[in-house]
Amino acid sequence: MIVANQLHKSFKRLGVSRRAPKSEQYIAAVKSVSFTALDGCITGLLGPNGAGKSTTLRMLATLIKPESGNAMIDGHDVATQVLQVRKHLGFMPHNAGIYPRLTARENVHYYARLCGLTRKQSQQRTGELIEQLTMLKFADRRATGFSQGQKTKVALARALVHRPQTLMLDEPTNGLDVMATRGLREIIRQLAAEGHCILFSSHIMQEVAALCDHIAIISDGTVVMEDNLNEILKRTGQNDLEDAFVQAAQSLSHGVDE
Amino acid sequence: MNLFIVMFKEIVDNLRDRQTVFYALLFGPVLLPLLIGGSLVASFKQMTIDFDAVTTLRVVNADKAPTLMEFLYSNNIDTKAAPDDVEKSVRSGESLVVLEITDDYGEALRNGSPAPLTLHVNNADKDSAKATRRINAVLNVYEQTLGSLRLQHRGIDPTTFDSLNIIENDVSNEGANGQLLASILPFLFIMSMVMGGFYLAIDTTAGERERQSLEPLLSLPLSRTSVVMGKYLATVCFVLLSSTLTALSIYILFKLFPLEIMGGQVRFDGPSVARAFFLVSPLILLISAMLISVSAITRSTKQAQTYLGVLMVIPMAPFFLLQYLNIRASLGSMSLPMLSQYQLLESAVLGDTIPWLHIALSVAGTLAATAILLILAARLYQREKLLD
Repeated sequence: MIVANQLHKSFKRLGVSRRAPKSEQYIAAVKSVSFTALDGCITGLLGPNGAGKSTTLRMLATLIKPESGNAMIDGHDVATQVLQVRKHLGFMPHNAGIYPRLTARENVHYYARLCGLTRKQSQQRTGELIEQLTMLKFADRRATGFSQGQKTKVALARALVHRPQTLMLDEPTNGLDVMATRGLREIIRQLAAEGHCILFSSHIMQEVAALCDHIAIISDGTVVMEDNLNEILKRTGQNDLEDAFVQAAQSLSHGVDE
Repeated sequence: MNLFIVMFKEIVDNLRDRQTVFYALLFGPVLLPLLIGGSLVASFKQMTIDFDAVTTLRVVNADKAPTLMEFLYSNNIDTKAAPDDVEKSVRSGESLVVLEITDDYGEALRNGSPAPLTLHVNNADKDSAKATRRINAVLNVYEQTLGSLRLQHRGIDPTTFDSLNIIENDVSNEGANGQLLASILPFLFIMSMVMGGFYLAIDTTAGERERQSLEPLLSLPLSRTSVVMGKYLATVCFVLLSSTLTALSIYILFKLFPLEIMGGQVRFDGPSVARAFFLVSPLILLISAMLISVSAITRSTKQAQTYLGVLMVIPMAPFFLLQYLNIRASLGSMSLPMLSQYQLLESAVLGDTIPWLHIALSVAGTLAATAILLILAARLYQREKLLD
């Protein structure tokens, strides 16, 4: 389970003089992000490019520290209980980031070992994942020539290797063809059915609408609306998610103007 | 524990990379010693004349100077009639040197005046110049003998004309040749260390950032310090391997060439190469730390190559400094990494005794610098900027 409460993070702007006022030197990537992702649910973090999705996920994955606000992963604080959080969390960043000179199996096995599994346990767990994610055909080939779909599967297997309760996927369907996307959705649904908490970030409305039980709309560093699809449509008075999204994002910018 | 998992993975990963393996196993240990050591040995061969080897000299009018011919013969120089066009033959390199006995040679000799001889040489050709030096040396001895005979003939003690008798006592264990050769050794070792770890260090740090595989790695339940140290240890393994192979190839290279031609007691036998390797070994840790900490700053492999290319000046600096400046081994120079190893290795190869204090200072200075760089590398990995 993920509970984020008013997360805030700003970065230093490049090429701005040090004498400039603080507000110009720094840019807030995430202004105020609050949402809850429950176990057994697929939660979608929906927002356009540059809305702060990746920064939010990085804070949740303990890669960077929030400036203010806090977040809990399965009851562990991301700012203070870093190792506990990492043990409960599987994180798949938006680029698969696998090692091209290692085989698929070696890629997964390396992560298994780093998560504290013994050699034997690692082999067993790697074997399980290869079967579960139907990777047998390319398991022992080096990753150099893998298709995007194959790379994503390897990355997903790595994220799952330590049986995390919570799984975060940063735009996992980027670059996947229709069949691979369907396959991935199937796997994600299955994991949710097993009781995992899944946070799924995307900028594609249809995908979020088709897959997610719960949606948090993020725009300009702020979560503007959080509910299930039907409620979001009802609250914005729209018929599809895209219009609802535009409505929600606009209400935010009006709020700022006033 | 995680540290060794990271180390092991990086080693396996990089052994599959042709470029890394080429530089670690071939360039530093084999190519560099062959290029530098080989050309050095060849140039010494060029400079040194072996007076015991029998050579042939082409002579014009040999019959006009039978005594000189006999003298040449007794100095291992066989004589042979010269070709018709002397100058063309020397220019083309067919004959290295041609000695021409002029027509009035015998006449001048009998009159007690300087007897003219002509040497046709080609100074642009190294082999010709070398042959000329040998002939000149032999002719000088002949001239001195004739001069003494002439003086004695007139009842004068020949030593009257030797107003000074200068004896040069070279107190260095080895001459200038040995000095150069001795400074080549640390250069080879250090270059092979740098080249050995170069690509692995870049691949494991900047390469990992570029491939974007760092982000998922750092989100695993392990400390960033163990990630850096694992990468460091992998670099150490490659540097160690590369420098060990270099020691081996230096030993073999100088085993193949007779060192007497370098005029002395430069030692490249098993124990002294082993001793040199032992003295230079702390640099394995330091150079690995340098490679890792510098490439940890960089974002891409290209940037890392640029930074490390500039950094290469540091290991080479003492080599060039010592060519221009005569820095004596002192407690100060011994506590400086790189410089101290150059000086220690020079002493080792030249067979000088090395004070234990110097060795201790060199090791301590090098380890201290290593520790500083490793702390720096670990700090660099804690930065949030690492994931930009």
